[in-house]
Amino acid sequence: MTPVFGFNQIRSTPLRLTFLLLTIFALAALACLAVAFEVTRTSIDAAVAAELQQTINEYRGIRDGDDLTERLAEAAAKTDADVRILFYVPDRGSVVSNVASFPPVSGVTVVSDSFIRAKSGSVSDSYLALSARVGAGHLIVAQSREQVEEMGEIFLAVLLIGLLPALLIAGLAGLWVARGARIKIDAIQHTLLELKGGTLSARIEGVEDQNDDLSGIGQEVNRMARAQEALVASIRQVSSDIAHDLKTPIQRVAVVLDQVMNKTTLTEGQEELLSKAIRETERIVQTFQSLLQLAQIEGGAVRDRLHSVDLAEISRDIVDFLEVEAEERGFALSLRIQPDVATCVRGDRHLLSQLIGNLVQNALTHVPQGGPVVVGVTRTGGETVLTVSDNGPGIPESERSKVLQRLYRLDQSRTTEGNGLGLSLVSAISDLHGARLTLEDNKPGLTVRIAFPATEPA
Amino acid sequence: MKILVLEDDNAIGSYIADGLREEGHSVDLIADGADGLVQATVGSYDAMVVDRMLPGLDGMSVVKTLRATKNLTPVLFLTSLGGVDDRIEGLLAGGDDYLVKPFSFGELSARIMAISRRPRTEAEPTILKAADLEMDLLHRRVTRGGQTLDLLPREFALLEHLLRRKGRVQTRTMLMEAVWDIHYDPLTNVVDTHISRLRGKIDKPYETELIETVRGSGYRINDV
Repeated sequence: MTPVFGFNQIRSTPLRLTFLLLTIFALAALACLAVAFEVTRTSIDAAVAAELQQTINEYRGIRDGDDLTERLAEAAAKTDADVRILFYVPDRGSVVSNVASFPPVSGVTVVSDSFIRAKSGSVSDSYLALSARVGAGHLIVAQSREQVEEMGEIFLAVLLIGLLPALLIAGLAGLWVARGARIKIDAIQHTLLELKGGTLSARIEGVEDQNDDLSGIGQEVNRMARAQEALVASIRQVSSDIAHDLKTPIQRVAVVLDQVMNKTTLTEGQEELLSKAIRETERIVQTFQSLLQLAQIEGGAVRDRLHSVDLAEISRDIVDFLEVEAEERGFALSLRIQPDVATCVRGDRHLLSQLIGNLVQNALTHVPQGGPVVVGVTRTGGETVLTVSDNGPGIPESERSKVLQRLYRLDQSRTTEGNGLGLSLVSAISDLHGARLTLEDNKPGLTVRIAFPATEPA
Repeated sequence: MKILVLEDDNAIGSYIADGLREEGHSVDLIADGADGLVQATVGSYDAMVVDRMLPGLDGMSVVKTLRATKNLTPVLFLTSLGGVDDRIEGLLAGGDDYLVKPFSFGELSARIMAISRRPRTEAEPTILKAADLEMDLLHRRVTRGGQTLDLLPREFALLEHLLRRKGRVQTRTMLMEAVWDIHYDPLTNVVDTHISRLRGKIDKPYETELIETVRGSGYRINDV
């Protein structure tokens, strides 16, 4: 199985939706927090500013200058600069304050601690300051903004312990849901590919008793595949029925022709005509034999008879047998067997030699100019792989799945011999053995590759 | 030879029976399986030709019953088109050979001869001879008129098969099955090509031809 969160999965629709929703959720939550923070801060600052104004108003109420200075000095002495700063600069005389220096301000201003020099002890990080003319001097009253800063910390805490875990949980839940959808989509895709490749028995698992939209699509695909399979099965049935019905009459025709050939005196011309009739009958018989054999192989009864056979040895025999024919027709038929590897498969010797023979003869028939034809047996990743390669015209990509169908022939090969059942038989025999058949580009030419499942050596 | 034919199709039955009679055999033709079993038990035959599908009792059961009673008459099964399974089943049931309809009479005749004269269990010869041709199986050497012939392994195997059945016709399918273990019809004359190559080596340079083509049947190697 492919990893569900792998890089290439980023393109999958459910996963994209999950990320989109998460981003929207996170942005909305952040915006809400920011607005709430701003509103609260503004109202705190407003309250502090009002308090400062009131303090200033109180000092303004003192008419007597000395009394004012004395009251300020007293207040400065007992006020902690960390909470509130009083800074009075009289027109004449010395500054009265609980800090050493404070920058000049006008109106309500935020002042950071870097502009303030403390007398003793510490000062707060920032202050909200208000200055006004009081008596014969300027008074600055500044209130620590610790409250606002604390609130900022609270908001940060809310963000960290509230929003981030929520996002994480939502994200994981989203991925989980996306994974469920992804698995279904993968199953649908996989099954469609299999159906396209001709495995009409392929079905999407686990969608039948569910009622979400993806399962609905899956059920439709399954229904379609069932109908398709039934249709193909009935076509097969018809062709093997026809073959069965015509069997006896054909046998009789063959018998009669043989009798005429052997028991009567014929002129040379008559004998030639008769030979032609016999050859044509043989071709009809062969086509019927193939159709019936296909039906039998697809019926699966032969499967019980499979046992360990050596693919290399079978290939050697069939290559040895067909080599002279290849040579006469301008081909170089050769065998390439990977040395020192197990080449046994679970199979039926006779069917496998027919499979290899059909593939080789197919190459001899469809490559007009002759050339090398190579039968190879190798072992790759636990599988025993049979290949038959030529350097002929090959098969266009679009035609590849069709050539394995019964009686299908490429347009250009209509004129060559053969009944169009050779590759169907190859495909049926390959299926019977649980092998994977692929048609590949030999650049130039065709490579038929059949990978047999791993077996224990005999 | 005395041959029993069990075949329910009239046309094919008489085709077989007539053909065999013409070759000088005495033939009984029966269309029903049960009757056939009785006949096979009472008459003593040299060979039997049995169709798989028979009314009364099917061919497989006839042969199984015969074998159960220790009747070892050689049996050639006939079957309709279409089987991979049939051949193996037939042989397992006790048949000696197997032929798919339609067949040429030559094929049938050659196969009946082959099963009725199975090589007896005598000491295996190490030298096979036909006229002035000698095959030394131990040293895998072939000479004709004292001259050593250079044969490929498959040519050696083909010649050995023919020599071991000297004087008997071997059809193309019989050769294909015995020499290469190939049991499907490749629809080509590859066997003829193999024979002609073999002839090129063992016959062509000499005056007498040892390998004879039997029209409508196959090949045979003769002593002269």
